[in-house]
Amino acid sequence: MSTVSLAQFHQTFFDESREGLDAMETALLALDGGGDTELVHSIFRAAHSIKGGAATFGFPDMAAFTHEAESLLDELRDGRRAIDAGIVELLLRSVDCLRGMFVRAQSGEALADAHSEQLRQELAAAVGREAPAKPSVVKRAETGASAWRIRFTPHRGMLASGNEPLRMFRELAELGELKVEPALGQLPALAALEPSDCHLGWTIELRGKASRAAIAAVFEWVEDECDLSIEELVEVAPEPTAVAAPVAVATPRTSREVAAESSSVRVGIDKIDSLIDLVGELVITQSMLDTFREGFDANRIELLQQGLAQLARHTRSLQESVMGIRMLPIASVFNRFPRMVRDLSQKLGKQVKLELIGEQTELDKTVLEKIGDPLVHLVRNAIDHGLETPDRRRTAGKGDTGTLRLEASHRGGSIVVEISDDGAGLNREAIVAKALQRGLISSGEGMSDEAVAELIFQPGFSTAATTTDLSGRGVGMDVVRRNVVDLGGNVAIRSVAGQGSIFTITLPLTLAIIDGLTAMVGEEHYIVPLASIVESVQLRGDALRTVTGGGELFRFRDSWLPIVRLRDAFGCDGVRADIEHGLVIVVEGEGTHVGLFVDALIGQQQAVVKSLEANYRRVVGISGATILADGSVALIVDVAGLIRQQGRRRVAA
Amino acid sequence: MGGKAKPPTASAATTRVMLPADCRIADLPAVKAELQAALSTASAELDASAVERVDTAALQLLAVFRREAASKGLAVAWVGASAALRDAAALLGLAHTLELPAATPA
Repeated sequence: MSTVSLAQFHQTFFDESREGLDAMETALLALDGGGDTELVHSIFRAAHSIKGGAATFGFPDMAAFTHEAESLLDELRDGRRAIDAGIVELLLRSVDCLRGMFVRAQSGEALADAHSEQLRQELAAAVGREAPAKPSVVKRAETGASAWRIRFTPHRGMLASGNEPLRMFRELAELGELKVEPALGQLPALAALEPSDCHLGWTIELRGKASRAAIAAVFEWVEDECDLSIEELVEVAPEPTAVAAPVAVATPRTSREVAAESSSVRVGIDKIDSLIDLVGELVITQSMLDTFREGFDANRIELLQQGLAQLARHTRSLQESVMGIRMLPIASVFNRFPRMVRDLSQKLGKQVKLELIGEQTELDKTVLEKIGDPLVHLVRNAIDHGLETPDRRRTAGKGDTGTLRLEASHRGGSIVVEISDDGAGLNREAIVAKALQRGLISSGEGMSDEAVAELIFQPGFSTAATTTDLSGRGVGMDVVRRNVVDLGGNVAIRSVAGQGSIFTITLPLTLAIIDGLTAMVGEEHYIVPLASIVESVQLRGDALRTVTGGGELFRFRDSWLPIVRLRDAFGCDGVRADIEHGLVIVVEGEGTHVGLFVDALIGQQQAVVKSLEANYRRVVGISGATILADGSVALIVDVAGLIRQQGRRRVAA
Repeated sequence: MGGKAKPPTASAATTRVMLPADCRIADLPAVKAELQAALSTASAELDASAVERVDTAALQLLAVFRREAASKGLAVAWVGASAALRDAAALLGLAHTLELPAATPA
């Protein structure tokens, strides 16, 4: 029954795996040009998904092959082995080989061939596992004369956790002829039997053309929940020397391995229902508007407007609901922290109380998947460098236990995640000293606390090797920021010496659509994300101050803000306009405010974000593009990026 | 444990235990109760003709029952066994232990 019901998913599995292979290839190529560990992770995840799928959908050869590749990747991932050109080359060939397997799988041919078998051996040899036993085993596999004895004793709770030996035995039966001998010795009396406990065990003899890896793959989902040994049976062996010693194999796999990431989303039925509801509303509106098709007179114009307004409302709700489908609670990311905080605080001899707030806050699945690593980084930093040991806390007049708080909330069109601690705060002197040493600044004199805090986000400010001699923070903070910025978000830091630090990550709810204000600069349209807009003002000519170095400032609510002329920033055509002829959009980003000077405002609109990077290349100050109702392209302003760029310009000037 | 076990009636000559169509881990407590009741009777009949889905836990329960019945000298007969049950028992090597009848026309 398994093969019949699973066949319908094969196509999906093929499609997803092909995408996975493409991603692997791209990442491998990037790795070849000198990449980071993040690439290894993504390659590993893709391989792991393919392996899991192959095992589930009954492609043991593919699962066995991918398993070897995965083992190798695991070593790379753990840093047990350095990445060199040879390994990248080997993995690239594996990707090609897997592509071939998928083609064969689709046409129903046997998956493994001499080429794939040889490559599998190369992978296994590269991992260095089973290397001595390999030749004879493989010979056997090729001649099809292998026989195996499998001892399989499930732990008591295996059945209750949903793992069904019947399924595994069926898979085994596909590998060869089975002789199954149950072990009944552990069976209790009927009265004492808890039906969901497993007391059975089996000894299975398998005769057929099967590799050890293919057999191990059958049990891979339960290897933590059973005692398993796989021995090669000494069959027709005239001289014992020709036979490899039986090796019991418990497939080496790290427990860190997470469940395969799939690219599907589980959706609550209520969300689907509300979608269906909305579509119903749309249909009603549509039929109402349809009446205007036959004959239209001016008397009914009000009705038409009503209908269009309804259409707009429903479309918007529908859009929100569809977006909602991709929304998942942040709890899945938060859940990993209690354990991590416990382990870390024990290791460092600190007392930490972890508070999680707003775990039900929902955000886009893509954002969710990518925010995990930066958060882990910040939490680790907060415990390592932020919170003090109980001794030092007592000296500072604080309680022994430090508090680390993670709080997620919706704020406008964004998700805000705050990581706050009541530790020592940033060490200004140490940061300035480090920045001087690294040549990031020429002097710490007169730098504001914000500017100092900003230094820790600078690439090259800190490396792992120098973590311990700095009592401030900043281990790879540039990586954290880059990751968050890639998601269209931002990281800001507030710190008070002696009282603690707050890292604030702001993320867009979704990456697909933004609300924005359309502005004209010369002949071009720009869209400024609504989330970052504070206010739009028109300035009088005398409201402007010019400062040395060519910067312009204007008065806004008791402070002077710099003006960024989009025409200059983006090199638009046209004459530089007088300040009173245009408008200034006051925007917030990077923890500061600036005024964007534009020629005119068109209005508010939603923009479906198209990646500029994918279609052109990355441009500083631009986060993407969108297509307007008239078909022309408008660029979306990356406020944070623009501010950073201006900041650098000012520093350079 | 619960279940709708028939009270053991010593007078009843033969108890028939009907296995449900979905004979899997979640429904076993009820089956177990019936089997336990059947143990205290003179002879029992197992009707597995309706079984469409069966799992290892169910086969384990039946194996325990057969073994205990045999030790008590209780006669147990199969009055029907579906293909699903026979296939699963064969795969787990339990067909002999369960003394399942050879394939009979349904």
